[in-house]
Amino acid sequence: MRSPRQRLVFFAAAAAVCLGLAMVSTAVQQTPPAPAAAAYRAPRTRDGKPDLNGIFQAMNTANYDLAPHNPAPGPLLIGSMIGALSATPPGMGVIEGTSLPYLPAAIEQKKKNFETRFAEDPEAKCYLPGVPRFMYMPYPFQIIQGQGHIAMISEYKNALRDIYMDHQTKAPADSWMGWSNGHWDGETLVIDTTGFNDRSWFDRAGDYHSDALHVVERITATSPYHLNYEATIEDPQTFSKPWKISMPLYRRLEKNAEIMDYRCVEYSEDLIYGKYRKEPIK
Amino acid sequence: MIVGTRRNRMNHRVIHALNALVIVGTGAVLLLPNFSVGQTPATATKAAASAPVQAAKPAAPATAAAKPAAIPRTPDGKPDLTGYWTNATYTPLERAANVTKQFFTEQEFETNTRNAAVRDEQQTTPGTTGDVHYDFTQFGLDKSQNTFAHDLRTAMITDPPDGRVPAQTPEAQKRSRDRAAAYKVPGAAYDSVQTISISSRCVIYNPPPGPPMLPQGYNGNYQIIQSPNYVMILFEQIGDIRIIPLDGRSAPPPTVRPWMGFSRGHWDGDTLVVETTNFSDRPEGRPRQLSGISDNFKLIERFKRIDDKTINYEFTVNDPETFVKPWIVNMPFTKINGPIFEPACHEGNYGMLDTMKGAREQDKKK
Amino acid sequence: MRLRTAVAITGISLLLGSVPLWAHHAFAAEFDVNQPLKLTGTLKKWEMINPHSWFHIDVKGPDGKVSEWMVEGGSPNALLREGVTKETVPIGTVLIIDAYHAKSGENKAVGRDFTLPNGKRLFLGGSAQNIAPEPGK
Repeated sequence: MRSPRQRLVFFAAAAAVCLGLAMVSTAVQQTPPAPAAAAYRAPRTRDGKPDLNGIFQAMNTANYDLAPHNPAPGPLLIGSMIGALSATPPGMGVIEGTSLPYLPAAIEQKKKNFETRFAEDPEAKCYLPGVPRFMYMPYPFQIIQGQGHIAMISEYKNALRDIYMDHQTKAPADSWMGWSNGHWDGETLVIDTTGFNDRSWFDRAGDYHSDALHVVERITATSPYHLNYEATIEDPQTFSKPWKISMPLYRRLEKNAEIMDYRCVEYSEDLIYGKYRKEPIK
Repeated sequence: MIVGTRRNRMNHRVIHALNALVIVGTGAVLLLPNFSVGQTPATATKAAASAPVQAAKPAAPATAAAKPAAIPRTPDGKPDLTGYWTNATYTPLERAANVTKQFFTEQEFETNTRNAAVRDEQQTTPGTTGDVHYDFTQFGLDKSQNTFAHDLRTAMITDPPDGRVPAQTPEAQKRSRDRAAAYKVPGAAYDSVQTISISSRCVIYNPPPGPPMLPQGYNGNYQIIQSPNYVMILFEQIGDIRIIPLDGRSAPPPTVRPWMGFSRGHWDGDTLVVETTNFSDRPEGRPRQLSGISDNFKLIERFKRIDDKTINYEFTVNDPETFVKPWIVNMPFTKINGPIFEPACHEGNYGMLDTMKGAREQDKKK
Repeated sequence: MRLRTAVAITGISLLLGSVPLWAHHAFAAEFDVNQPLKLTGTLKKWEMINPHSWFHIDVKGPDGKVSEWMVEGGSPNALLREGVTKETVPIGTVLIIDAYHAKSGENKAVGRDFTLPNGKRLFLGGSAQNIAPEPGK
């Protein structure tokens, strides 16, 4: 350094640079988070658990097709004049990517299901929806949090999911809705379901599974008005790897919202048994 | 593997029938049917005889000397009805013609039960149409191999005192006839599935799930899940579900009339009172005694858990447009082990397909 | 024919007291009382469905050819509450079933009695008094 004055200037400049760098680095390290609200904390039930009681419904086209899809016509029934009522609307999909990771051997069955879907879809026969389809059918469902069990009841057939909460249990036999064990992970209800038969479909596009199906769901109240729903589907006999879906489930806010009794068996009987009528239905 | 030999079965079964008494009141012990030869039946203890029932009130607890049993309660302090229950019973709805008293003695109850168990066990004769059926007892579906009520009443109808359903008004009888005619399906039996019984079609069971909840021939079992604002009742046959809101909401418009009506409940002390209206016009899916009910009919049910093993269930039919006087039914619901396995009746209805195919084959032979 | 069947079933059910056969689908309409069978086969699958379970068995015919049969049994509900599971009757178990053939003519039947080769009956119940004669006699 040449002179005390030069030294002072140097150090002042250095300090200014340091301060500037510090400010920049502070700014970089502490990138302020997007002005988000604190994570939602649902009200509690009397026994201290997040209160998920209520009536909810998905608002998407997952039930038509989990994957992104374009609109498509339905069967044209000349005699009954159903027209556009049977068409499939478009949807962005609820999966990651554009298609489900079928094993090569399984994709033929999916294609066959798709081609015969208007006769073979379990929903057309008013059969139970299975899991996770129960959660995104176009009907409301109700969550009742009881002692040792959480019940979910759909308006569709009053299909029931009984989630065992107190103790983990094993499926005694295979069923359409599987056997569900649940537990709390902080704010999230985690449901682990096995014990499925191979008869339900995931959607109206013929997406299906074997009895090796295993579904893990995470349900979190994200606001007073909706739940965040995620499901991981695993079935090594049908898919090459697990896949995920996610969607909001919206609370039905009408005063006195109520699950009604949609008993569709009678509407499906002629589809299933019609050809055995004395006067066959074609 | 679960097996049994015929010879040993019989003696065990009769002994079981005598011992398989589920006690209403304190100190109840459930005798589970066992199927391993050599296993000792649990000893059943008997409480004081069930207290006489007073009309229009839930059954009083056991004698004054016994303390009222503590009942499980929900976190918000209400009696907890959660669990698995059966209303299987040997008590008839109406008092038999040759019986005049209100209660059997314990001895008579045991005899009746033993006789019923023997009847349950009777095998059908091969080559008769009644034999064309799987064996109920082999699958443990007969009452005597399951939990049934220890109920000394001679009839479930506790009012009127004669234990019989009162007469219907002429208007009610007409409604009953008109409904049967309106819903009659054209064609001979098996021409179409619609000619076959509604329960074989897996639409709704008959005897119906309720309300009111009358006992079944078999699988008369229920599961209750309860929250502060709702009670859910699942019925084992076909899997009907009643969701009963407790939030004081009113009934929906009179034009919305589902099979099981709309139920609304509220707590009256420790008794759950449920009122149901808006019953469908369709006569199936309702007990035949209620086939003529008026459009304004309201059924009142009362559920009172009186101890760990028992819910006293009462329903009141009071509709001057339908019955010349009110009637009240009382029965215990008794605790059973779960689970209620998924009722997927329609999904597994091979029987309907086979019946229809068989009918068409028969047609060809004519 | 049908009316007589209906009356006969009602009559039997009254005798049996609490078991309302009429409340079921009409078994005698589905299966033929005049076609009793004795099926011996190995269990391929037990569909434990409510209200009727179905046993899928492989039956070897006299010509050595194996055909699959479906035999209807009772609901598994009471059994499940006793701890019976799908593992209780393992795949490959030999079953001897007294049955009635379906009127449709298909390989279907209702099993009036399920036994094992050692004579033991499956599951619960049964009366000592009645040693049922062979079907067809």
